[in-house]
Amino acid sequence: MQKIVKKKANKTIQTIKAFIFDVLAWAYIALVSYKIIYDKIILDTRYPEFVWKQPIYSLYFGLAVTILFFFTNFSLGKGLMGLIKISDEESATAKPFAYIGYLLIVLTFLTGFYVSQVSVKEFFSANGLEGAKRIFTALLHPNWGIFEQGLFAAIETIYMAFIATAIAIPIAFILGFIAARNLMSGNPITFFCYSALRAFLNISRSIEPLVWAIIFSVWVGIGPFSGMLALCLHSIASLTKQYSEQIESIDDGPIEAITATGAHPIQVIWFGVVPQIVLPYLSYTIYRWDINVRMATVIGLVGGGGIGNLLMQYQGQARWSEVGLLVILIAAIVWTMDWASSVIREALK
Amino acid sequence: MLEIKNLNKVYPNGYHALNNINFSVPQGEFLVVIGLSGSGKSTMLRCVNRLHDTSSGEILLNGVDTTKLKGSALRKMRADVGMVFQHFNLIPRRSVMANVLSGNLSRTGILKSILGIYSSEEKALAMKYIDIVGLRGKEKNRADNLSGGQQQRVAIARALMQNPKVLLADEPVASLDPATSHSVMQYLKKVNEELGVTVICNLHFLSLVRQYAHRVVALKGGKLIYDGKPLEINEEWFKTIYGEDAVEVTIN
Repeated sequence: MQKIVKKKANKTIQTIKAFIFDVLAWAYIALVSYKIIYDKIILDTRYPEFVWKQPIYSLYFGLAVTILFFFTNFSLGKGLMGLIKISDEESATAKPFAYIGYLLIVLTFLTGFYVSQVSVKEFFSANGLEGAKRIFTALLHPNWGIFEQGLFAAIETIYMAFIATAIAIPIAFILGFIAARNLMSGNPITFFCYSALRAFLNISRSIEPLVWAIIFSVWVGIGPFSGMLALCLHSIASLTKQYSEQIESIDDGPIEAITATGAHPIQVIWFGVVPQIVLPYLSYTIYRWDINVRMATVIGLVGGGGIGNLLMQYQGQARWSEVGLLVILIAAIVWTMDWASSVIREALK
Repeated sequence: MLEIKNLNKVYPNGYHALNNINFSVPQGEFLVVIGLSGSGKSTMLRCVNRLHDTSSGEILLNGVDTTKLKGSALRKMRADVGMVFQHFNLIPRRSVMANVLSGNLSRTGILKSILGIYSSEEKALAMKYIDIVGLRGKEKNRADNLSGGQQQRVAIARALMQNPKVLLADEPVASLDPATSHSVMQYLKKVNEELGVTVICNLHFLSLVRQYAHRVVALKGGKLIYDGKPLEINEEWFKTIYGEDAVEVTIN
């Protein structure tokens, strides 16, 4: 009896979800058709005017169409929620609601092309090809005269990434335990610490290191230090997450056994948890250094110092031969780091 | 020396794992607990050294109620109770010696144990127990490279290192082959007889029970339904404990 009631309630929820989905889907179709097909393709306006009336009217339109079609086989929402019966011989892809889905996909493609201003004409224009040829020639004739300068900048980048990783390791090591659900879910206080740390980590990880580098370059001034801080913060957040996930996946047996000897909780962690996580930790950490070196070159572009900074300067002066040399150097660093980190991680397995 | 009074254990999800258990274990006894998987055997052992908390009732270890202990008193109690597990639960990638020494953690300072500083007496004691379980010469080997039976013997030596009053064994031979099972049981018997340690052991095989147990208690659905001599478990009792369709499997 209870099960039937529950099933019914479940079906109601599914129907409501399907209805909302339908309204949004139709509103999207209406809005996109109007803005792209009518405004851009038919009228060919370069900067179509946007007013809030448009999406609101499309919502009304979506609601009206949904009410019309919701109880027919044209309801995509019902189709996706599995509320439309499909017999074994039929395929769901040939049902009427599927065509609404295809329409959605085609419209999204069209919109995508227009929004990203894809233009075959510009890609193959004589002027453009001339410019491309100039750059490629210069890039392929790198100016070896600045090799020394580039090399020093590259070394700066590698050390910057190394220090960012090295500072992040002990902090992430400690935070990793606090961010591990299985260790912290025991009592309300530790669980609160866990939740708060997780929230903080998710926020700081969702802000790109590039943005952090900009923030820090204002804070401590343009140079390797700001780039290092940005990388360090990002590394702490990422390593803590990876470390804590490793802790969450360990075998409880040794923890139980060490607890049973009457050991102090710190000893339980040192003897029951740490031996199980050392190798994966090393592997993650080396991989993080590898990622940091690659990121450090990019972070230099926004004032984080190192080879990226140099690249930015020469690019600003349109000295493409120098840029060419720096690109070669960056590629060499990335390849070397990639190779070295994979060799070390393989050896650790 | 161990007395269990009206012990109840209800899991947070409402499952009543132990239902009003009463029995006592005198000093030096080899007690075996039998019952189907899920009958509450493991839960009961884990209540004794408080790896699980109890819901109600008392567990008296030498007159002290262990169910209310906290902090260092709880750790001190745990140090008096050794435990071996079905899956050995040794520290991976550490030597036999390091594993056996870890049995003494409650008496080693935190910093000392983390830095790996052990006194020569501690090392000599560990060697003695490694010798008792017949692993002399293996003390420098990595524990996780040993065979199953040898790993379980390391676990026994680790428990002995605690100098326990009681040794709890949670299905110590369930993941071993028959020949090795007997060898491990022999070592438990030796610990019981020669060192005078009280042993409480969960087992599946009745043939092992008849051979090693002084006394048997049986659990079914969280209730204690049998308490007596191993040889008194007849066909009828067997069917009651394991269910009508059960067939006895022997291990020689």
